Amino acid sequence: MNCLGKRMTKTKIILFLLVTVVIGAWLECNIDHGIAPLPGKLGVDVIFINSRIPENTEGIYLFVAPKFPPHAINELYLSPNSLPFWQIDRSAGEFARDTIYTEIALPFGHYEAIGLWWYNTETESNLADVFTLKIAPNFLPASIDITPEEPYVRTELWANLTRVERDAFIEGTIHFDGPFPPNTLATAIGAYFRKPQKDVEYLIYLLSMDFSINENPYHYKLPVPSRYGAIEYLAVFWLSERSGLDDFRTIGFYEDPDNPGQPGKIKIVPNGTVKGYDIYAHWP
Amino acid sequence: MRLSLGCSSLLLQFALLLVPTASIASGYVTGKVIDSKSKAPLPGANVQIMGTVRGASTDRNGNFTIEKVPPGTYSIRASMIGYRSVTLKNILVRDKQETKVFFELRETPIEFDPIVVLAGKTKQRLDQAAVSISVVSAKEIKRRNPTNLIEALETVPGINFIGNQINIRGSTGYTYGAGNKVLLLLDGVPVYASDTGEFNWDMLPPLDIKRIEVLKGAGSTLWGASALGGVVNVITKSPSPEGKLLFSCTAGKYDKPYYDEWRWTDPNRLHYVRTDISYSKQFGRLGMRISAGRFMSTGYTQLGDFKKYNLTGKFDYRFPDNIKWTGYAAYSFIYRGFFIQWKGQNDPYEVDEANLDNYAKTNQLSVYSKLAIPVSSRFAINVRASFVRTLMGNQFGEAAGFNPALGQGMEFQVDWLPHSGHTVTIGMQYQHDAGSTKYFGDHRGFFIGPYLQDEWKIRENLRVTAGFRYDRYQLIGGPKEDLFSPRIGINWQPWSTTSLRASAGSGFRAATIVERYLELAIMNFKIKANPGLKAESSWAYDLGFRHYVTENWNVDVSLFDNEYWELIEAHLDLIRGQIQFRNIPRARIRGIEATTNISMPIRILGLNMIPSLQASVTAMDHKDLKWNEPLTYRPKLLATIKALFRIGSTQIEVDYRYASKIDKVKIYPINDRVPMKFLDVRASYDFWHLTVQLGIKNLLQYNYAPMESNLMPMRTFTVGLQGEF
Repeated sequence: MNCLGKRMTKTKIILFLLVTVVIGAWLECNIDHGIAPLPGKLGVDVIFINSRIPENTEGIYLFVAPKFPPHAINELYLSPNSLPFWQIDRSAGEFARDTIYTEIALPFGHYEAIGLWWYNTETESNLADVFTLKIAPNFLPASIDITPEEPYVRTELWANLTRVERDAFIEGTIHFDGPFPPNTLATAIGAYFRKPQKDVEYLIYLLSMDFSINENPYHYKLPVPSRYGAIEYLAVFWLSERSGLDDFRTIGFYEDPDNPGQPGKIKIVPNGTVKGYDIYAHWP
Repeated sequence: MRLSLGCSSLLLQFALLLVPTASIASGYVTGKVIDSKSKAPLPGANVQIMGTVRGASTDRNGNFTIEKVPPGTYSIRASMIGYRSVTLKNILVRDKQETKVFFELRETPIEFDPIVVLAGKTKQRLDQAAVSISVVSAKEIKRRNPTNLIEALETVPGINFIGNQINIRGSTGYTYGAGNKVLLLLDGVPVYASDTGEFNWDMLPPLDIKRIEVLKGAGSTLWGASALGGVVNVITKSPSPEGKLLFSCTAGKYDKPYYDEWRWTDPNRLHYVRTDISYSKQFGRLGMRISAGRFMSTGYTQLGDFKKYNLTGKFDYRFPDNIKWTGYAAYSFIYRGFFIQWKGQNDPYEVDEANLDNYAKTNQLSVYSKLAIPVSSRFAINVRASFVRTLMGNQFGEAAGFNPALGQGMEFQVDWLPHSGHTVTIGMQYQHDAGSTKYFGDHRGFFIGPYLQDEWKIRENLRVTAGFRYDRYQLIGGPKEDLFSPRIGINWQPWSTTSLRASAGSGFRAATIVERYLELAIMNFKIKANPGLKAESSWAYDLGFRHYVTENWNVDVSLFDNEYWELIEAHLDLIRGQIQFRNIPRARIRGIEATTNISMPIRILGLNMIPSLQASVTAMDHKDLKWNEPLTYRPKLLATIKALFRIGSTQIEVDYRYASKIDKVKIYPINDRVPMKFLDVRASYDFWHLTVQLGIKNLLQYNYAPMESNLMPMRTFTVGLQGEF
């Protein structure tokens, strides 16, 4: 090969490498890179209105719900870590306030509810452990919007863990009018300090819930807080296979013995157990 | 009367098979296998007399001898990894006479139709199999320089990994490391942890792998339990006729995260190093291969660091009359962190502080022993025994509570060629599994299964395979299940360039001990036991064709339909946050897979190049038929492109892997999900006995999470040195 031929080959190789580098640089700058950090952020000042943190507290998590009530618990944005509740001075006195600031990263969007979820060390956590919701003036959950124009929103939540101090018990038997339907996902008993009227109130007024009902008849012993003095609505719910948290069906409730067909009120004694509150449930 | 005559004739024939072969007339075949270009002898090439169980490997000089060949006319085939196979037809073997044959094999960058054993438990050409099979050759493994088996398999058409779990055409999805719907075999022997059913992908050094065969679709008729969605058979190298030392050292340096806010540590410290060394030699009748390896990594995430050590030994001894014993032992020790889920999408490489002590040690010992007895040219007996011991500890921050999981297996197999054209495989397999921890108690179970298959060569270009297997699975103190797994297949080669295949085969898998009994709390979720889990079963239908457009270009298309019954999947209770393994009554995965391989010398910019291209696409439709919705953790589209350019001693390789966005996940459906798009490039240069490699994995810094809250590695720069002496 002559000298000119060699030079031509070298030029071609250099040209080839240059084109490769340019294409590589273009790809690096223009191609998408898959998962990216979430662009929005919610900052929350959690104001504990007293220093009463139950001894069996495992964690307190901030949650943000795109839809409320959510269809499933995995459709909530949950803070990655528990709030550092151990920093609260439990000996500071009944009315000593304390504030913890926390943040959660979120995609842009509309969120129907913000709240706090309590996890304990003894039992499985459920909906009744949502002990704080940010409430709007209309007494419904307050929503927020995270937008490109306002990617950071700061708000506050008032936390009172006495709602999950379940120091008393209600006992009784649930009688079903037949065997459990084969498509049963769960059957639960829930205690409310006020009878819910709207869907969302089934969460707001809920004080305690137990999903372990699995036989007919079923003897229950439900822990409840005594600070409300009474349980105004004690109901049995059924969830079919594939249903969600927004699909509870009431299949029975404790009825007032003097006024059958109406919910009965149950007086609660601090640290005590009230017995004989039987419920008759009818499968849908 | 006719029936009894038939039976007597069969018994007589069977008895004749056991008559010492020395008393039967026979000749012998000798020859040499050389490289067609360099004319150098090829040691380790396989020579097989087609239609018999007789074969041999070439010695260091490329010579071979096959003894005790009954007189007749045969086709004799020579094959070797990296070379195009050659078949010599109408070779006449005469009584007490030597027949000499000579093979010249041509090197090929892509191995088009290698010999496989997965299809029928006996050696068979890939294009004559009735089922879809892919093969990864040692040459490709060397080129890719993988750090473990996952990296060796991830570009195989139709395969994708979700975490450490292999999916063949969407078979497994993701079951959180408990139960795999694919069977992993080591030289044909099952190797899985007997409590979880999972594989240790780090157990084998890539240096020791001769090839990997992947059977796509159910394969329980021959391979038994767990071959529900496919089988992966890792075939290790035999001891080299001459002393051979192999070593490999690979180091990788993780780049900084693409987004600065994702930095969690000094990115300069994040790296890995894997070193392996292997020596093999034949001492008379005894051959041995010993390997040792170390793999250390800082990880690219918190808790991603690990130390892994492995030691393997393979021995074979050739008794007179071609009786061969093979023994294999692999020990691995792993100390690693468990990254279960990220702290958040804005801290994807970090974990919750409460889980920072989540480290575990795993010890695994796998041993097998095989004896192959070729009783005559038409009858061979194979006996296999295996043992897998897995001990895992310090899981989830707790100190103890684990006992070794023990799996013991035994198999007896007969290969019988009763008439010309028939290859009958008869066998019996027994497997005993035991596991014990405080998380699921003490459990043990076994299955025993006889099987029978006949491959009938009706004409030279038409083969029909039919077989069945019956299995009894018994969980001691628990339920027992009876499973029947039939199979039928046909391969027709209407022209020398085209083969058509069709098969229907069944598979099954009994629930693992972990799937049935595990009770554990992880993060905010509780895993609940389900002792009533039923065995899952499947029928796989496969219709395919393979066509050579030219000598260096083939196309393979396959239509598949995998029907599942009682498919075991993780189920999340959306109300209580409990995870439980449950049966999905009916599910279906069907689709189409197309693959093409092309290799031809060209001249570009004045340079002589040998470019090779393998492209594949797998399109799947997967459904839970009860709820008419997609199955979880399965993409609908997989695609790979592998391009290789060879210029003299330099090779440049580019791999692109694509998987469409996973339709449905279990735990965090609100997390962002994206398709997989990975581009890897490598360059290697061969000189003297060495190969130097430079590479970049995930060149485009693509951030992909195959399952929720787990990002795959960022861009990684690699350098490797391999030697062969």
